[in-house]
Amino acid sequence: MSGSALRTRVSGLTFVVAGALGIALQAQSLMARSSVPAAAPGVPSAQTATPPTQASPEVELASGYRLVLDRYCVACHNDRLQTAGLTLDFDTLDVDQVSHRPDVWEKVAQKLRTRSMPPTGRPRPDHATYDGFASWLETGLDRAATANPRPGRAAVHRLNRTEYTNAVRDLLDLEIDGRALLPADESGHGFDTIADLLSVSPGLLERYMSAATKISRLAVGDVALRPVIQTYSVRPTLVQDERMSDALPFGTRGGIAIRHRFPVDGEYVVKIRLQRTWMDEIRGLAEPHQLEVRLERARLALFTIGGTYKDPAPDYRLRQERGQAADDALARLEYEMTADAGLEVRFQAKAGTRLVGIAFQQDRLAPEGVLRQRPSVSSFAFRSIKNTDPGVDTVQIIGPYNATALGDTPSRRRIFVCRPAAPHDEDRCATEIIATLARRAYRRPVSDADIETLLGFYQDAGRTKGFEAGIGLALERLLVDPDFLFRVERDTPSAPGSAYPISDIELASRLSFFLWSSIPDDELLGLAEGGRLRDPSVLEAQVRRMLADSRSTALVTNFAGQWLYLRNMRLVFPDPEAFPEFDDNLRDAFQRETELFVESILRGDRSVLDLLRADHTFLNARLARHYGIPNIYGNHFRRVTVGEARRGLLGHGSILTVTSYAHRTSPVVRGKWLLENILGAPPLPPPADIPALEENDDSGHARSVRERLEQHRRSPVCASCHAQMDPLGFALENFDAIGRWRETGDAATAIDASGTLPDGTEFSGPVELRTALLNETYRGQFARTVTRKLLTYALGRGLEPYDAPAVRAITHEAAPSDYRWSSLILGIVKSVPFQMRGLPEP
Amino acid sequence: MIITKKHLPRRTVLRGLGAAVALPLLDSMVPAAAALSRTAVRRLGVVYVPNGMAMSSWTPAQTGAEFELTPILQPLAPFQDQLLVLSGLADELAFPRAGEGAGDHARAAGTFLTGVHVKKTEGADIHAGISMDQIAAREFGKETQLASLELAIESVELMGACDGGYACAYGNTIAWRTPTMPLPMENDPRALFERLFGVSQTTDPAARLERLRTNRSILDSVTDKAGQVRRQLHPSDQARLTEYLEAIRDIERRIQKAEEQSDRELPLVEQPAGIPATFAEHATLMFDLLAVAYQADLTRVSTFMMGREVSGRAYPEIGVPDSHHPVSHHQNRPEMIAKLAKINGFHMQMVAGFLEKLRSTPDGDGSLLDHSMILYGSGISDSNTHFHDNLPVALVGGGDGQLRGGRHLQYPEDTPISNLYLSLLGKLGIPMETFGNSTGKLDVLTDV
Repeated sequence: MSGSALRTRVSGLTFVVAGALGIALQAQSLMARSSVPAAAPGVPSAQTATPPTQASPEVELASGYRLVLDRYCVACHNDRLQTAGLTLDFDTLDVDQVSHRPDVWEKVAQKLRTRSMPPTGRPRPDHATYDGFASWLETGLDRAATANPRPGRAAVHRLNRTEYTNAVRDLLDLEIDGRALLPADESGHGFDTIADLLSVSPGLLERYMSAATKISRLAVGDVALRPVIQTYSVRPTLVQDERMSDALPFGTRGGIAIRHRFPVDGEYVVKIRLQRTWMDEIRGLAEPHQLEVRLERARLALFTIGGTYKDPAPDYRLRQERGQAADDALARLEYEMTADAGLEVRFQAKAGTRLVGIAFQQDRLAPEGVLRQRPSVSSFAFRSIKNTDPGVDTVQIIGPYNATALGDTPSRRRIFVCRPAAPHDEDRCATEIIATLARRAYRRPVSDADIETLLGFYQDAGRTKGFEAGIGLALERLLVDPDFLFRVERDTPSAPGSAYPISDIELASRLSFFLWSSIPDDELLGLAEGGRLRDPSVLEAQVRRMLADSRSTALVTNFAGQWLYLRNMRLVFPDPEAFPEFDDNLRDAFQRETELFVESILRGDRSVLDLLRADHTFLNARLARHYGIPNIYGNHFRRVTVGEARRGLLGHGSILTVTSYAHRTSPVVRGKWLLENILGAPPLPPPADIPALEENDDSGHARSVRERLEQHRRSPVCASCHAQMDPLGFALENFDAIGRWRETGDAATAIDASGTLPDGTEFSGPVELRTALLNETYRGQFARTVTRKLLTYALGRGLEPYDAPAVRAITHEAAPSDYRWSSLILGIVKSVPFQMRGLPEP
Repeated sequence: MIITKKHLPRRTVLRGLGAAVALPLLDSMVPAAAALSRTAVRRLGVVYVPNGMAMSSWTPAQTGAEFELTPILQPLAPFQDQLLVLSGLADELAFPRAGEGAGDHARAAGTFLTGVHVKKTEGADIHAGISMDQIAAREFGKETQLASLELAIESVELMGACDGGYACAYGNTIAWRTPTMPLPMENDPRALFERLFGVSQTTDPAARLERLRTNRSILDSVTDKAGQVRRQLHPSDQARLTEYLEAIRDIERRIQKAEEQSDRELPLVEQPAGIPATFAEHATLMFDLLAVAYQADLTRVSTFMMGREVSGRAYPEIGVPDSHHPVSHHQNRPEMIAKLAKINGFHMQMVAGFLEKLRSTPDGDGSLLDHSMILYGSGISDSNTHFHDNLPVALVGGGDGQLRGGRHLQYPEDTPISNLYLSLLGKLGIPMETFGNSTGKLDVLTDV
């Protein structure tokens, strides 16, 4: 770059070489991201004209930063030691040629921004130098990126399970249980959208084949369907002492609300099995209870169960004298094991997805939500309790019997866009149906060949089994087509290594899979086909429309669910001895709280920083009780303003639980989570063969987790990372392993929640940690982390050093709006890696 | 045909687990076609345990035929005459190379059956080797509908819980079809059922045959299409479509097998509803289905992971409420080792149940177990140090007369475990010159 170009962009900056070493640089007004290329140390003003023959300011500035490196970095990062595989020696690396090694310099800039190097305890530059050097590096890197954009290259991307499920929903208006149909996908870089890991094994293809059969059967319907049993289980660890769902009537307790897909109009049977003890005795038969079954709002049946055998039977003594007591015991046992045999009802249902509600009538006087003492739900003792309220174990919905008609379901309306007027009209109508489906499924205009292939299947089945069966088979074939299962972007012929904009059609898919985890809808596809999607105002309007659409919930469940490890909530098992109160009601509530919270921030288009600082959350009675918040009644979640300590994600039971061990908190795991997901500065993996933290033994010498960790940190190998991780985790020590507030820690030791951030900010406890994370240094860091995570998720690949300029540009653009969601998302949509595609290097 | 759940009140309790466990769903399934009469076939099964072993409770004190079972091995007592405990085998390749650092868990599982040092990466360029079970699968798969089954208990959906710097796949599976294609492990019994018996929910041969033919015509058509798409792609992008085409061929081959074997009677099996609540029920159900797959000769090769590497599962039902991985770093403290040994023993209990099923199922002139080689082990020995030498390895089954059990064999230190695989493959009728880092065979498996 030329000196004159530099000069024109520099203003009001002064670098002074000061001190005996001449390396402490001072900069005025260097903000988190300065686009100012800056002048050289020792040059009083950048306006000073420098003859091209002399050393340019750029070079002088570079040599100043070379001194910074030599002073603070190369003691460890040199050719000989190669600490962390990084060398910053002069011999190996020119600081004035940052564009030659973006991989190295992006790393350095990142360490400077987060103040994570040099390690604590070693001499460090002042803040101005930190920021000045980082800005200078970033400016050079950004300039190189603008001149020579490297968008990266999306690999062929198989729809993952979530995307497949959503695509079927949007293609056929059919809700399916993806978990039951397909296996989970491998994940990497924190997400399961990483194209390189979405492989296809024979086993998976078989699952796709069988899924296609089932989906087609459900969507088209078939009066010749065999009756099938669909079993819905209520987890035994879910306590049925409250109204279990907003879909169940008030005044009910326990049971389950099922959204069941009835494939055709016909008769169905609901069969209920009640919870049993491990001895196979039905629970809660001592007193009579009423159990009702509803289809939508209509009651199908009201059963009375229990109360047959009172203790002792009135004529017990008499019968005992006659030697009949043994028979009684046997009969009673028989009853206790089979009393639910008759809990079934046969009924007529119309095709479509309908609510089947099964619940007991609330017959206790105690108000809902008051916790009764009980052993842990996962304990053996809990499985032994017989004398309690009955609960539903499984519900089977069996059918159809005597199917009368295919009915008028949303799926059929979506598929059958025409009806053949007469037999000779069937092929025309089939073509129309197939063309409509294929365009949506393949997410592009369809060719004659596409239609011909599918029509072939329609004709095969249609000839013998009729029009609808023909459409069914064509649909089955379509659902395993590579154009449906894979997102394939086709190269535009250009020079190897060059970059080019992807097509509008491809852009439409990138958008819909990013924001909806699903296929584009007709409007989006139409705009792309018309070549209008690249019009900036059209693009922005589409993004806003898509964010407002309910399908963008995918960003909460799919993106945030993975980013924040919320998905792990289903898979954690807190120690039942340490946390007997943990049950699936709490598990579900944790998950729901965070989902509702993230959704409220996203839908309100608020700042992503609000994820850390918003003063509201969403609670039901169970969760409020857990948090110690009074006066919240009922199972329904509502928005509640909370005190300082509970604010933001760091006060959520879900996050606090998934970052704990089963039996205690782990400041290390929590610290690592914060570094990785909030600060975006993941620690290096631990070295090999290190022992875990010593647990407290029974010797009576109880030590706090902090004491034990501090011992661990005395090892210098451990210290380099743990000095950053652990203090962050300690700040959250006031929350136990299932997110309850506590004043004393492990082994009744006092809690010391103090620590220091890498930039020197001291804090104690969650409130101060949160404040520190929102300070000038770290708020931008957090926004950058969210951007990196979103971009990784959107592109379906790990980010590379050459993506860093795009990340900086997006966060920079979003800063004035205080990092609103829409500003970050629009920034990503408009970014080079999202809009373009690179050809492989030769 | 609908299969309704027969309501059989059962009060039977499985004993010996410290806690009682209700009989699993599959207990009511009765093999309709008892023994399929044919000449004996050989079967291979590999069961992997994560996070290493409490070695002091694993290794028997004596070698040779007169050895006493240790606490972890105790559940294998009924099978001691068909049990070989193999000490001294090592997986040197799982140790880190210069600059690799942590990742012993990922390397342990990734290397275990492949005999190669896996590439350290989190993304696209995962690379291990073809695992020994897949070599057997390629051969035996010519005879059966499914070349192999890959089964697990744990879900792979846990975020942020894989070994540092390594793609999750390394720790999630031990089966590698090719060096770049890890095979996902199935942990849902319902899905496994469908894999074995199809979606028709019936074993009615006519219905199954019709379904197979439809599938065949769909696959034919998809093959053409996938070939077209592949041709439009840059060579660097074609791999995924190639994989897809290979998967198609695999299924076509299976369909052909299924058609040929459509007169064969299948055991009457109920479709499981889903994943049972407890570890014991879940493991038992998966093993039951695996036994049925062997029995019906749907496959002859399987791998099974008791947990993925770095598993943090807690086992409160046996009195270990702590997470498995932290417990495995026991620092030689007796109470921690005791907890780990409990987990190890519990896993072995599950395997013993499986072995019992194999032993009680007639097969040719003996039992399924007589014709099987079931390998049990971990890619980490002492879990505290995460070393990969002196691995815990046991081999159970008659191997169709190819194995002579009832012994604890001590091999010279650092004998590559690949030597064992080379030997086993030979005994399965797949002679090879070398496997992975093998240096020779372990000949004493058959005789003293």
